[in-house]
Amino acid sequence: MPIVNEGILEEMKHIANPSELKHIQEIYEKTDPLMQEIAYALITGNNQKVDELTKDSLDNGYSANTIMDDGLIAGMAIVGIKFRDNIIFVPEVLISARAMKAGMAHIEPILSESDIPPIGTVIMGTVKGDLHDIGKNLCIMMLRGAGFVVHDLGVDVKEIEFIDAIQKHDAKILGMSALLTTTMPNMGRVIEAFEDEGLREKVSIMVGGAPVTQEFADDMGADGYGKDAIDCVELAKELANK
Amino acid sequence: MKKNMTSKERVMNALNGLPVDRTPVSNPTSVATVELMDLVGAPFPDACRNPELNAQLAATGYTELGFDSIAPYFSIIQESSALGCEMQWEQKDNWPTVRMSNPIWKSINDIQIPPNFLDHPDNLAIINSIKILKRQFGNEVAIIGKTMGPWTLAYHVFGVETFLLLSIDDPKMTMECLIKLKEISNLFGQAQIDAGADILTYPDHATGDLVSGEYYKKFLLEIHQEAAEELNVPLILHICGHTLDRLDYISENNMAAFHFDSRNDPLKAMEIANNRIKLVGNINNPVTLYSKNTEDVKIEVEKCLEAGVQLIAPECAIPLATKLENLLEIPKTVKEWTIRNNG
Repeated sequence: MPIVNEGILEEMKHIANPSELKHIQEIYEKTDPLMQEIAYALITGNNQKVDELTKDSLDNGYSANTIMDDGLIAGMAIVGIKFRDNIIFVPEVLISARAMKAGMAHIEPILSESDIPPIGTVIMGTVKGDLHDIGKNLCIMMLRGAGFVVHDLGVDVKEIEFIDAIQKHDAKILGMSALLTTTMPNMGRVIEAFEDEGLREKVSIMVGGAPVTQEFADDMGADGYGKDAIDCVELAKELANK
Repeated sequence: MKKNMTSKERVMNALNGLPVDRTPVSNPTSVATVELMDLVGAPFPDACRNPELNAQLAATGYTELGFDSIAPYFSIIQESSALGCEMQWEQKDNWPTVRMSNPIWKSINDIQIPPNFLDHPDNLAIINSIKILKRQFGNEVAIIGKTMGPWTLAYHVFGVETFLLLSIDDPKMTMECLIKLKEISNLFGQAQIDAGADILTYPDHATGDLVSGEYYKKFLLEIHQEAAEELNVPLILHICGHTLDRLDYISENNMAAFHFDSRNDPLKAMEIANNRIKLVGNINNPVTLYSKNTEDVKIEVEKCLEAGVQLIAPECAIPLATKLENLLEIPKTVKEWTIRNNG
């Protein structure tokens, strides 16, 4: 099916990497015009339109999964690439996230009633002493969209709270975020706490946040580092299959 | 040029583009550590709230570490506390912070400077600490005050997400908010100048990790130019994260210097700044200063010196458990490098 939405075609011009462009084209060629319209409304942060179109689509017999995959997540795929490539920044991502939330408000209740098993369970939180949560919240939204069950511990999370949550929910993946160079070392302390409790081998730990780097993640002994929300989802999928 | 300058002369000359006997080592943001707190009996959070303890801890940047400046404002939250933000003061081993998820203001109409703003204990802690430090070190060391810029204040009073969404939904209102918030920056900054601050750090976190370089131009360039004119001491703008994409604009803001993050190559930054603004930085905190050794610190300091960075400093407030030996290595390397290169 050809891509008919001119907005989407215009957005694709931002994708510089040929194989990535091919991948995105293939995604959109499988979608119909209404789903492309939802995706474009999401990319441009038009939450009212996403809200209306999602409702209309459900009324017209589209499945919740189709709307989520072909509309909302397909839109977020382009948002993620533009964010990664510094074409857009956090405010623009936030308006897209707000639009996604508007669509998910209709979709989530339907999905939670279905019996599709989750890909995995993830515990997410911002480390002790750090109250920043935008990046973490974007990751959570994308992880849920991708089919993970996510338990959000919020901000300023202590070592013991991460450990308790992993045990309580029998989760195999832990995601930690920090925005401050002053709080980043607390990630290492959480990892040490898991080692001290003899739980380190049972959990895969991923870290992220603006000042965090692969080198830092390696130094701390994390299992993975995600630069952004898209990376976070890919990493979580990898860790879930470990 | 004087052969043996005082630390103060060295820092002031570097900021004013005048000759220096060696590159100064500065700290526009905090170099407080738990070890230093223990040494002088001035732990967090008391050292953030009590002027005497604050001055004792701040002085260690000069007396123990050998930096050329003293910076008594350790965190980024003093004036936000005075505005009424919900605070988390934490313990000795953690930074006080504003609970931005419970913002105090919703719209521009809420922006009100409390009548006793400057008399609030958390503002007085800094103002009075500067007076103490000025009496003790005023002739020999540069005293660096700090006042948060309007962009950072907006994060604190409105919440980061709310404010960033406003910047898209209503840019005109965003601008009006920033103009009003700048009055707070000026008020607290001027009070520190009156108390004896030689320099002000001006953190305004329009970082590349959050917003575009064009945002800096659109929302902040003019405001920063006004601040540089209104506050009559050298200003050091501080923005964490990636900033090379906005450094050309920053270089036009008429401030004396820009304190930059290790994620920006010093040589590239110097090329872009092109002497329009001095650069301060950019030794990496979380990896190099916190977890590596003195050899690694030396390599980074020398890289900055080779690039011509005018004042050497950690990139931002250092982690509280940073090893003293790594901090001591910064002035040591600068001195050795100077002897090696200048004879």
